Amino acid sequence: MKLPKVRELTEAVKALLTGPYTSKFPKQPHVAHPNFRGQPVYDADRCVGCLACENVCPVEAIAHEDITDHENPRRVMIHYTDTCIFCGSCEAACIADNRGIKLSGEWDLAFFDRSAAMETIEKELELCEICGGPVACKDHLRWISERIGELSFSSPTLYLSRLKGLGVIDENIIEASRDYGRSDRVKILCARCRRETTLTTK
Amino acid sequence: MARSVIPIGPYHPLQEEPEFFTLTVDGETVVDIEVNLGYNHRGIEKLSERKTFDQSTFVIERICGICSTSHPFAYTRAVEDVIPVEVPERAKYIRTIIAEGERIHSHLLWLGLAGHFLGYNTVYMWVWKLREEILDVMEILSGNRNNYAMFKPGGVRRDIKEEDIPVVMRKIDSIIPTIDRLKKAILDDPVLHVRLKGIGVLTKEEAINYCAVGPTSRASGVARDVRKDAPYGAYDRVEWDMIVTEHGDVFDKAVVRILETYESIKIVKTCLQNLPGGDIDLNIKDIPPGEGIGAHEAPRGEVFHYVRSDGTNRPARHKVRAPSYMNIPTCQATVIGETISDATIILAAVDPCYCCTERMAVRDSKGARLYDTKELIRLSQQKTERIKRKMGIK
Repeated sequence: MKLPKVRELTEAVKALLTGPYTSKFPKQPHVAHPNFRGQPVYDADRCVGCLACENVCPVEAIAHEDITDHENPRRVMIHYTDTCIFCGSCEAACIADNRGIKLSGEWDLAFFDRSAAMETIEKELELCEICGGPVACKDHLRWISERIGELSFSSPTLYLSRLKGLGVIDENIIEASRDYGRSDRVKILCARCRRETTLTTK
Repeated sequence: MARSVIPIGPYHPLQEEPEFFTLTVDGETVVDIEVNLGYNHRGIEKLSERKTFDQSTFVIERICGICSTSHPFAYTRAVEDVIPVEVPERAKYIRTIIAEGERIHSHLLWLGLAGHFLGYNTVYMWVWKLREEILDVMEILSGNRNNYAMFKPGGVRRDIKEEDIPVVMRKIDSIIPTIDRLKKAILDDPVLHVRLKGIGVLTKEEAINYCAVGPTSRASGVARDVRKDAPYGAYDRVEWDMIVTEHGDVFDKAVVRILETYESIKIVKTCLQNLPGGDIDLNIKDIPPGEGIGAHEAPRGEVFHYVRSDGTNRPARHKVRAPSYMNIPTCQATVIGETISDATIILAAVDPCYCCTERMAVRDSKGARLYDTKELIRLSQQKTERIKRKMGIK
């Protein structure tokens, strides 16, 4: 009976000498372990806007909005930080070497206004030259043509977008005709318009 | 004396199965107990059918906050059973490490809460301090203290880095002396012997009849453990013992959990030492039509999942049976005949997440509220004090 009490007493004295186990948190900032899965953050330079992350997200915390005005067509990638569960599926699915969106060590995510709990990045969008709808992000088309090399010359959308980006193409040539026929085939087109121009008999 | 009816429940938001106990008491003695299950329906199974096979693991992980790996483990095994396919060796080991780490922290959590309800708040604080170390280990291995997001059909999502293994081993080794001390402090304590021995006895026969699972049945002498009976993961590749005791009282349930913590530590260490190389994921693309079942020995007992696929990328049907569903009804055999002050610890001995006491309320036959959570815990703690006084300790 005495022995257990002595044992517990030693532990109590030890605890008294070593001080509290808990950290002095608000005074002493907490640094998460490097392996910690914190809030995912977009890398606007590496992200190609392919929407793979939106597709795999189990809680629909990633969304996008395509703004198709001809002045500045862009795709806004939205990450809702309040819904996110930090599972890392987006990072695992990212086609840009898993670096377009990456989990960070950020864990202090308190906010006052829930509607402001989001992060956005903007990617330049390539528009269809017939219907004006979105084709894909410019960076995504470049990513594809870099992967497939010279094969990209089989797709006008791919090589024209690339050449336009390099500034080697005259804008006036593209604007020449608009008859949804054979002459429209060598243009930057969305999937639906590509099908129409290919199948039409005009 | 007139009989009173004591309702306990019904909302227990953090538990797999919210429950509602109606105790009928004669003075201090419980003469009847009625259990109602099925409150707080969250529609998890339906939600799982809306997500793809891969996304479902995250929903299933959130069925329970404590055993957040047990459900995905059973679910991924069920999906792999549909195909059927064997996961790579390294993935098996990583799965085992995560599952056993979870068992350690779950058992420690129970031990701390049991201490709290008995009035041993020092045990409560010590054990939870110890549990922090394990949660740190889990954060190093998986990236989070809980909700590890490691499992996916066909393997695991993240690899264990070589440079993390020595750190983890050191941390696990550092907690063993503390658990030793704790084990002795609890098992030597004469007050706890009087307080817990012979309380809430579940006999072997009753355990079989109620289909009790996990530590609840093993404490009653029923040697049942999915990890031994139908080995999966790396459980047949490492040496470990199944802990079985005979008496079935609250004390034995505590003993089983403490000793199982040692076995889990042993499994985690052996797996980390013998971690084989190779792939961690099969990259399953298609899941053919079919049915599959998966079982896993969760800290509270066998968890069972059924998945039916119709060839699309979403499960057509997903059924979950959690262990507490089998264990909670055993209180009909254990609580009757005991006092209200013991009911708290007997219901806790089954290891439902004990936030349920927050909704515990005692009413007399006229419906006036007599006791609330604090009152019930106080009753339980007072009994320990009485025993201590009787034994001349205080």
